[in-house]
Amino acid sequence: MTHTLHRQGPLESLKNDYIIFAHTARGITRDGSGPKIREFIRICSKYHPVNASDTKHGNIYQDGVDIEKLIADQEDRMGAIAVFTDLDALQKVVEELIRADLGLSINISGLLEEVQACCRRAGIERHSLEHSLGFWGSTDRLPEREILQLNTMCGHGMISFNLLRKLIDQVKVRRITPKKAARIMAKCCKCGVLNPVRAEMLLEKVRKGEKSGPTPRK
Amino acid sequence: MEIDKKKCVGCGNCHAVCPMGVIYLDEDGKSVVNQDECVECFTCYRVLRNEGYLPWFVRAIRKILSSLRLGYLAEVDVCPTGALTPPDLKWPRGVRAAFSDPTTVHPGTGIPGRGTDEMKTNDVTGRLRKGDAGLVVEIGRPGTGAFFRDIEKVAMALAKLKPNFEKENPVTQLMADTETGKMKDDVLNEKVLSAIIEMKIRLERIPVFLHTLQEVQSQVDTIISVGVASRCLPDGSAPHEEWVRKAGYTLSPNGKTNIGLGRPLFKEN
Repeated sequence: MTHTLHRQGPLESLKNDYIIFAHTARGITRDGSGPKIREFIRICSKYHPVNASDTKHGNIYQDGVDIEKLIADQEDRMGAIAVFTDLDALQKVVEELIRADLGLSINISGLLEEVQACCRRAGIERHSLEHSLGFWGSTDRLPEREILQLNTMCGHGMISFNLLRKLIDQVKVRRITPKKAARIMAKCCKCGVLNPVRAEMLLEKVRKGEKSGPTPRK
Repeated sequence: MEIDKKKCVGCGNCHAVCPMGVIYLDEDGKSVVNQDECVECFTCYRVLRNEGYLPWFVRAIRKILSSLRLGYLAEVDVCPTGALTPPDLKWPRGVRAAFSDPTTVHPGTGIPGRGTDEMKTNDVTGRLRKGDAGLVVEIGRPGTGAFFRDIEKVAMALAKLKPNFEKENPVTQLMADTETGKMKDDVLNEKVLSAIIEMKIRLERIPVFLHTLQEVQSQVDTIISVGVASRCLPDGSAPHEEWVRKAGYTLSPNGKTNIGLGRPLFKEN
């Protein structure tokens, strides 16, 4: 699954966007994983993630789901996710996960150099790495830059370009706030990798007519 | 997805929410889904809260407001009358939901979503080992969707280079022949939000695979998101970076990192 790989935006915007996953492998680490996933979510919750989810309940922006429910109702399953907006919190989560030694596969999506530095400060070296090579094919069908930055925050592409345009229009005429628009986006992104704080910041910029920069390439 | 015309009041909320943009207002003022283009992602059904109003009541209110030259703007995330009706999907149409609705568990992989664990559990599975690269070619994303007839074109072009298509991957499981990349005929006219061709190749073969992808990309009318992964070297560097650059392509500054906390750690001989 490549679902957090293709997030777009200038570096300053991506600096506020880190997703941490606990993942289990069928036949290796899945059996008996329920209590470990619960502990993963509990550790993440101490550092105030802006989104969190598991594969059964979806994310905390769904009606009737909150982080306590995610912690309380865990079984052996694929894993769980938490989203953070700053490296300090991520650093603390990583350090605590190392101490907890849960044995779950832990992945972080975000700026690779920042994540590597975070790992090294915690005394570990990264294991495997995945890069995006960008968009190919009929790229003339890609939407405008601001829409693309918001759309690619949903791992499965569930937030339509048209909905984003509608939300931006409503934010611009102050019919809804950027915060409310970000929450509607978060509802669409069931798997919970959307960063609503970053979405709100992007919408606020759009509301003010500020242009967003391109996604840099190395 | 289907829309119950007896209930629909034509508010249009589902039009915007649809990731494929394939719900429209019919001549009778009710919404209708273009069934050829709908990918059965169920986003409209899941996101639009059913307000449970009686259709005649909503229509009457709107008529009164309209006569007074006033309009009523519904909340963005509601279906006033609960007109959206999930269909019972049979083969092969069920393939659409399996690839497009992240809450549907794939029968072949046992997990929800369109792909596999990929490099996310590489620390315990050893799927990508020294000298290997994982290439993921996601067709239809973002926001365009893809028919399997287009996915087949890409798969068949790449199959000529003899990759190891990932056996647990749902696209591989729909191939009639993994040697040629030919998909099962039943699914060719099925459209999905996106589908991921996932393969393992040797690092030094990255350039030839990317050049082949470069050639075939113009034959499909959709967007392709491409990713590449590898097991890091002891110093933390990723060996695929060198091969991607040699091939003349650039890399994203962001990506996914497996930090290696899985246990028991896979040990390579």
